[in-house]
Amino acid sequence: MTAVHDVDFTLEYPYTRSTGPIVGPWLTGLRDGRILGLRVGGRVVCPPVEYDPDTGVSTSPDDLTEVGPAGTVTAWTWVCAPTSKHPFAQPFAFAQIRLDGADTAMLHAVDAGDMAAMSTGMRVVARFRPERRGAVTDVYFVPGDEPPPPVEADPDAGSVETTEHLIGVRIREPLFPFRARFARGLLEGRILGQRSPADGKVHVPSRGYDALNRVAMGPEHDVEVADVGTVTSFTEIAPIQYHGQTETEPWIRCSVLLDSADTTVGGIDVRHIGVEEFRVGMRLRMVWKPEGERDVSAIENRWGGITGGVYERWEPTGEPDVDPELLKDHPF
Amino acid sequence: MARPCAVVGIGQTLYRRRRGDVSLDGLVREAALAALTDAELTFADVDAVVIGKAPDALEGVIMPELSLCDALGAVGKPIHRVHTAGSVGASTAISAAVLVESGRYDTVLTVAYEKQSEGNATWALSGGRSGGQAAGGTFAPWIREYIRRSGAPEHIGWLVAVKDRLNAVKNPYSHLRIPDITVEKVRESPMLWDPIHFLESCPSSDGAAAMVLAGGERARRSARPAWVLGHAKRTEITTFPGRDTVRPRAGVECAAALYASVGITDPRRQIDAAELYVPFSWYEPMWLEGHLIAEEGEGWKMTDSGATALDGDFPVNCSGGVLSSNPIGASGMIRCLEAANQVRGTAGDYQVDGARVALAHAYGGAAQYFAMWIVGSSLDVLA
Repeated sequence: MTAVHDVDFTLEYPYTRSTGPIVGPWLTGLRDGRILGLRVGGRVVCPPVEYDPDTGVSTSPDDLTEVGPAGTVTAWTWVCAPTSKHPFAQPFAFAQIRLDGADTAMLHAVDAGDMAAMSTGMRVVARFRPERRGAVTDVYFVPGDEPPPPVEADPDAGSVETTEHLIGVRIREPLFPFRARFARGLLEGRILGQRSPADGKVHVPSRGYDALNRVAMGPEHDVEVADVGTVTSFTEIAPIQYHGQTETEPWIRCSVLLDSADTTVGGIDVRHIGVEEFRVGMRLRMVWKPEGERDVSAIENRWGGITGGVYERWEPTGEPDVDPELLKDHPF
Repeated sequence: MARPCAVVGIGQTLYRRRRGDVSLDGLVREAALAALTDAELTFADVDAVVIGKAPDALEGVIMPELSLCDALGAVGKPIHRVHTAGSVGASTAISAAVLVESGRYDTVLTVAYEKQSEGNATWALSGGRSGGQAAGGTFAPWIREYIRRSGAPEHIGWLVAVKDRLNAVKNPYSHLRIPDITVEKVRESPMLWDPIHFLESCPSSDGAAAMVLAGGERARRSARPAWVLGHAKRTEITTFPGRDTVRPRAGVECAAALYASVGITDPRRQIDAAELYVPFSWYEPMWLEGHLIAEEGEGWKMTDSGATALDGDFPVNCSGGVLSSNPIGASGMIRCLEAANQVRGTAGDYQVDGARVALAHAYGGAAQYFAMWIVGSSLDVLA
């Protein structure tokens, strides 16, 4: 993306959960076509939990007991425009359902077809999905009392001890004004910082304010800084593989104090200089990508500085090193 | 003047790479129930609950203080959540102590946890983006700068790694147990982030820690109180011109405020045991200096001389420390709990003989959040 754009980022991870001694049997039950409640404190709660919800006293899996499959709606809401994360593609109801034999209501989904079919006090009954994996979504509810067809449980399937959940959030927002000017500057081949009106220090990239002196900085405080500077800090990273990681080979991540700036620019990735010759105090120059090939899509409001999308590489200037002692104020 | 607060119960889970036998609720309850049992109390005796954990992205459970409310017996009671990244366990303990000291509540249950196996800390610390440098990648250059400034020899980090892992063998809750660890094995282990070797790094653990804090009559009647003599928290922002990440000013000021509040003028002599947050070996000497226990440039000499060993004059991380068990959100509370363990005389095989004053410390973020407390075997132990 070779223009300044709004932030559009999806934060997403496939979490793995261990189910424990009560929720595990409950999910196993759903997979096998049974809904379990738990006798605790003189009543039956569903879904079952590891503790008395009123007192925190521990419960026992020995007190699990089958409930349902039919029950009564005690409250409901209609979802007119389901998203991909909802249990149905078509409009449906989320309802509190007190299953027969249980004393508490469970939040679940009712495939009622039409909002007019929903009412508090109505009867609903479980339906088990053909493909079940030991998840709360293995079951759903429909209006009526007619028992579900029997489910054939796989006797070798074992108990459900872990569950997996791809959890994510999509973040869309405009760039803050300074961040947008910073990104536009990079597209034009200029590195923009801001000079604090409080103490004259130049922040690169700026947050749009001087946090130490608590003063705002606007376009009138923008200054251009050099694309040449001094390494103040670096790490060689051997990439750990995780969800979304695209790096496979070790590389150097460094911070550079650009000439005429007072803050270091972190997160600069160097792939064309060997770690054996890399050092604090080394003078580097940024070699820009050609205008038109620069990409600032990695610049967000709270993430991304001089991104790899705008430079070909950083190369030694050949100047003598700066004495690390003079960089003591910039170990970040 | 705040009224006195005591630790009257402590509880821990076993720390493991993965506690697949329990749910998140079950993990947290294991520590809470152990602390209540130790205090000879039940949930019914608790007036308020304070919980802490590292950022929600580690497990993907958003606002767990809501879902854990019932699990911690807090129905109808106040429950608070504290957020200060890796230092959160100690910040949480301090927040709970303040609730007692203020006189608002008599008995407060505080719990901190992490179930790292459910997610991926490097992913979470990378903001969910590719190219994460991990905590070690952040701290390694600052460690190198410490070495440059202090002239410390390279074996200092190896010594810390060996000492803490051998201490951990004496702790029944430890995650890492490496009884045959040696300096040679540390030195030969893979280099992760120069100069940090694999065996100089903390593990990724599941676990929870809990304490019951009490004031008034309940504290006075406790069979084994650890009195909270003082505490301090300080924070600085991540980046600003002139920020010293090697010796952060917030850490120096946090320690100075803590010592002044309890009348400590010579921490090395007046403190009998310390639990410092050392996730990478070199942070032992760095915090000895950064928290005013040693003069600048002298911390590594304490490590080198054996002063920080279990039988040294300033024992550090007798429990095995963060290097041996690291359920991130709980790690700071474990420091506070282990300090209490020492002054109560209940630290078992890693007990420091006659410990009466103990220091606990945690740091978090980019070495920018600090939380410290000092506990004593009696209220007048420093008088």
